[in-house]
Amino acid sequence: MPAAAAAKPGNGQTKGIFHNTAGFSTLITVTVLTLAWLAGFASRLFAVIRFESIIHEFDPWFNYRSTAYMVQHGFYNFLNWFDERAWYPLGRIVGGTVYPGLMITSGTIHWILHTLNIPIHIRDICVFLAPVFSGLTAIATYLLTSELWSRGAGLFAACFIAIVPGYSSRSVAGSYDNEGIAIFALQFTYYLWLKSVKSGSVFWSICTALSYFYMVSAWGGYVFIINLIPLHVFVLLVMGRFSQRLFVSYTVFYIVGLLFSMQIPFVGFQPIRTSEHMAASGVFALLMAIGALKYLHSLNPKGQWKKLLIVGGLAAAAIVFLSVVLLTYIGVIAPWSGRFYSLWDTAYAKIHIPIIASVSEHQPTTWSSFFFDLHVLVCTFPVGLWYCIKNINDERVFVALYALSAVYFAGVMVRLMLTLTPVVCVLSGIAFSIILDLVLREDELPIPPLENEESKNLYDKAGKVKKRPQEITSPVDGGLGMNVRSGTLIAFMILLMLFCVHCTWATSNAYSSPSIVLASYGNDGSRRILDDFREAYGWLSQNTADDARVMSWWDYGYQIAGMGNRTTLVDNNTWNNSHIALVGKAMASNESAAYNIMTALDVDYVLVIFGGAIGYSGDDINKFIWMVRIAEGEHPKDIHEADYFTERGEYRVDSEASKTMLNCLMYKLSYYRYDSGGSPPGYDRTRGALPGNRGFKLTYLEEAYTTEHWLVRIYRVKKPDEFNRPRLPLSKRTISTTKALTKKTSKRRKGVLKNKPTVVKGKRVKLQ
Amino acid sequence: MKFFILFTLFVTTKAVTDKATLVLIDNFNVRETHSQFFKTLQDRGYSLTYKLADDAALVLSKYGQYLYKNLIIFAPSVLEFGGQVDTDAITKFIDDGGNLLMAANSAAGDVYREVASECGFEMDEESAAVIDHFNYDNTDDGDHTRIVISPKNLINSPTIVGNQNTKPLLFEGTGLILDKDNSLVLPILSADSTAYSYNPKSQVKEYPHAVGRKTVLIAALQARNNARIVFSGSMFFFSDEAFNSAVSKVHGDKIKSGSSGNKELATHLSQWVFGERGRLRVRNVQHHREGDLKSSNTYTITDTVVYRIEIDELKNGKWQPFEADDVQLEFVRIDPFIRTTLQKKPNGVYEAIFKVPDVWGVYQFKVDYDRVGFTRLYHSTQVSVRPLQHTQYERFIPSAYPYYVSAFSMMIGVFLFSFVFLYYKEDPPKSKSE
Repeated sequence: MPAAAAAKPGNGQTKGIFHNTAGFSTLITVTVLTLAWLAGFASRLFAVIRFESIIHEFDPWFNYRSTAYMVQHGFYNFLNWFDERAWYPLGRIVGGTVYPGLMITSGTIHWILHTLNIPIHIRDICVFLAPVFSGLTAIATYLLTSELWSRGAGLFAACFIAIVPGYSSRSVAGSYDNEGIAIFALQFTYYLWLKSVKSGSVFWSICTALSYFYMVSAWGGYVFIINLIPLHVFVLLVMGRFSQRLFVSYTVFYIVGLLFSMQIPFVGFQPIRTSEHMAASGVFALLMAIGALKYLHSLNPKGQWKKLLIVGGLAAAAIVFLSVVLLTYIGVIAPWSGRFYSLWDTAYAKIHIPIIASVSEHQPTTWSSFFFDLHVLVCTFPVGLWYCIKNINDERVFVALYALSAVYFAGVMVRLMLTLTPVVCVLSGIAFSIILDLVLREDELPIPPLENEESKNLYDKAGKVKKRPQEITSPVDGGLGMNVRSGTLIAFMILLMLFCVHCTWATSNAYSSPSIVLASYGNDGSRRILDDFREAYGWLSQNTADDARVMSWWDYGYQIAGMGNRTTLVDNNTWNNSHIALVGKAMASNESAAYNIMTALDVDYVLVIFGGAIGYSGDDINKFIWMVRIAEGEHPKDIHEADYFTERGEYRVDSEASKTMLNCLMYKLSYYRYDSGGSPPGYDRTRGALPGNRGFKLTYLEEAYTTEHWLVRIYRVKKPDEFNRPRLPLSKRTISTTKALTKKTSKRRKGVLKNKPTVVKGKRVKLQ
Repeated sequence: MKFFILFTLFVTTKAVTDKATLVLIDNFNVRETHSQFFKTLQDRGYSLTYKLADDAALVLSKYGQYLYKNLIIFAPSVLEFGGQVDTDAITKFIDDGGNLLMAANSAAGDVYREVASECGFEMDEESAAVIDHFNYDNTDDGDHTRIVISPKNLINSPTIVGNQNTKPLLFEGTGLILDKDNSLVLPILSADSTAYSYNPKSQVKEYPHAVGRKTVLIAALQARNNARIVFSGSMFFFSDEAFNSAVSKVHGDKIKSGSSGNKELATHLSQWVFGERGRLRVRNVQHHREGDLKSSNTYTITDTVVYRIEIDELKNGKWQPFEADDVQLEFVRIDPFIRTTLQKKPNGVYEAIFKVPDVWGVYQFKVDYDRVGFTRLYHSTQVSVRPLQHTQYERFIPSAYPYYVSAFSMMIGVFLFSFVFLYYKEDPPKSKSE
């Protein structure tokens, strides 16, 4: 960003050398975009430099695993891959339940590089894919913004998106996730859509559909596109901006895009069967109806047709709406899915779908995180929006809708901050462009006020002629004095610099942790690496049978499969709520009840994360209440959330905790044999309490492995035949026995017989 | 020479592991009083090592290797075993697969009770004996403790007790109580409904611990690792006296018999408990798609699968094909989706042909043959059942023919139209240019 910001003022000074304006502005554009790409790429490398070139977090491990599978076995085998190591014993059809765009992208890169005899490991491609794509996103944003406003605004937007934390949070090196490439696809699709609306050409519409196809293959967020574009069309219709261009671009895009999107196995027939996609087809039908009415109108443009047009349009809208409602009611169209309901009603998930509510990135966004992720842009983007609305045209309607809907969604879910970020960058780019324009432009005489077509080059022109003001001290004063102008300029430059500093800081500190390797800092600032996760997964892969089945909470499913290469019961795919609830029930039950579930599921090992020794707060005990809630949702008779709280409704682990809590499997597996964590031994540093149940023994499980910092604990589930004899415990015996003390000593090992004939030398043996 | 020594060593160790038997007795008289029983064992090739139960040098294992496969404890008067043997050592011996035959009498001490409880049953209090005032033998000394048991009271399992038990049995000793919740213990011989277990010398003041048919005289346990335990309340049952004496009941139907059935039953029991009978093993398992020859670990939904299992039974010291018609196969994914009886084929082969369910997932072929008297036969093979591949779906669906027709007619129409469009020459322009 500093490079990009610096490139701008430099722009005017060199004007005298180059007189070819068009070529010069292209050079500037290319330079700025290249630098933005480089800056974006470089700022995402903190994780690699601090730790190593490694895949981060949870979902990326699955993406990496399936990419590696695809590279190894070929695309068709990947498409037909039935993964029997996931969701034991249900299995998972990976090809049909995944957005394959990410794997195909990196697989293609891998293939090209290997064709060129560049032997690079697929892991490195996966690690660096998102940073590379951030550059492409910057270019797509530049294109989109210059389509909307001007090339100068586009350069600003490109520089913003390259480094803004809201986007780099999902695209640091190693964060190999769908979002990394999907934001590029999103921006590029929007750019092409605006292009096609502007030109009304079939070519651009087809391009939009192709780009949309890539987006569908890459991320479930494509639903945002297929709702936003129809919304755009609909609003244009309402505003009376119907045109042949709109008609051509939308109809072509809708039909081709629909057919393309249905080619992705995971999407399948959803575009015509679910409510999420109905807006698009409804608008399509409406557009057809209005097109037909317009045509009729054009046949006889007399007064009475005008009324028919309006009435007919309204009637068509009503019919479309009613038929969608009717089809949903009949059941042809699936109703809104839970995730979408929770977008409208934020409390919905908490009540009905605990599994969605349990994910931290599905929580509503706090105010501070808006500032944290967007910094100064969050203040400037309304300015850009205001200018867009003030100088409205077809495209700016689109960006206004984009901004409004994205702001709403970002407010509902932290995760959707990601969709807000690009539009914020676009509008802030426009805002900054306008402001700098105002400050720098005034000496240019004949420029008319900002117009749609002219404005394209405004900023660049202004920049280019910046040298001149010294010569021509403007007689026609624009209203701003020299001091005000330079003051404003300096103020905004400082703002931009602060923005850069903040972006770098946020990316480096908040978003560059791989989360499978933890770092802790000592009092002297020295850094300690806690590599417990990989230690445990390494242990699993080296010391357990190849088909061993590991039960853990679903968060760790992908990692166990990716790093440990072992069968898991549930993972981050979370497609089967009842299976997850079963695991939650096992964790929440007492040992013997859990054992029944575990034998039914053929569990060999149980893995729990316990952060008490090092004060790691994301451990299983802290997540445990969600396990209880999810289990209660499916097994309301056996699990009651209230049992796990104290009488006063507190969630505690110390001696005041409820009996159910102290005896459930998760508690026991976490605190079994735990004696670390400072004084007194066995103190839980995460919860700041001394566990209430200590020194217990496990009957059905045995400890298999505990990592260095107690972070991951693995237990082996005993097989039924290890309980060989059904012994009768003392308490159940009806005949009491006196446990005689042994008379044997280490020297004298002779036993005792009743009435044993004692043989004394020289005497006769006396028998009884 | 060296090779020869090695070879003999191998042979002897092998023999030791199979037939080596330790007999713990409380005095060497037992060798004489129970000589017939020990003789039957020796005739069948067992090498018996007699040791006094309080021998200070008593060991079951050396360097982690067991010296004996079987253990006979005929030492009711033991209060504490000598050497390294105690209740824990005996239970560990069982858990490691050793077989145990244990016989008590009414004077047996608490060590017996401990061992019995570890196996899931209880022995009645010291000096208690099974008394039956209606079914005692005429050689009884007045306490009515030498009782006559009809062979009808035996467990219905020819594998354990043999086929021909028609002669009455003589019993004198203490009674056993079985744990009701325990599904692994077997009451091999239970007393008649008129029997009870109490101290014959004292008056009955409390309700006896074991009354009527609940009084078990001989109990057995087959542990989950197929170790076998037979626990008899009577050591007299195995004695020469019981083997040889004639039986004549004093009351009731006054059964008379020239000799008791004790010898046959004792022989059968020893054959079972030391694993000469009732042992099954899986020789081979195959499964494949019908029509294929090669075995596969992956099936597609609705495939037809052939599953074949070969089962052997140990008969007269040799593994021979097992004959039964109730072996079942389950195809399990948490719950059994298919449960079918395997078809018996010659040579111990059992076969099932079935259609894989239309539900994908990871399944297990499970054969779990658990019959009284036999070792538990359990075999599971994991296979995955996958959905159709993208090439396996039907290319042309009948219901879609209208669409095919429309698509192809459209293509033909466009082709014809473009043909006409390209090559049709209009007349008027032609005339104009001319």
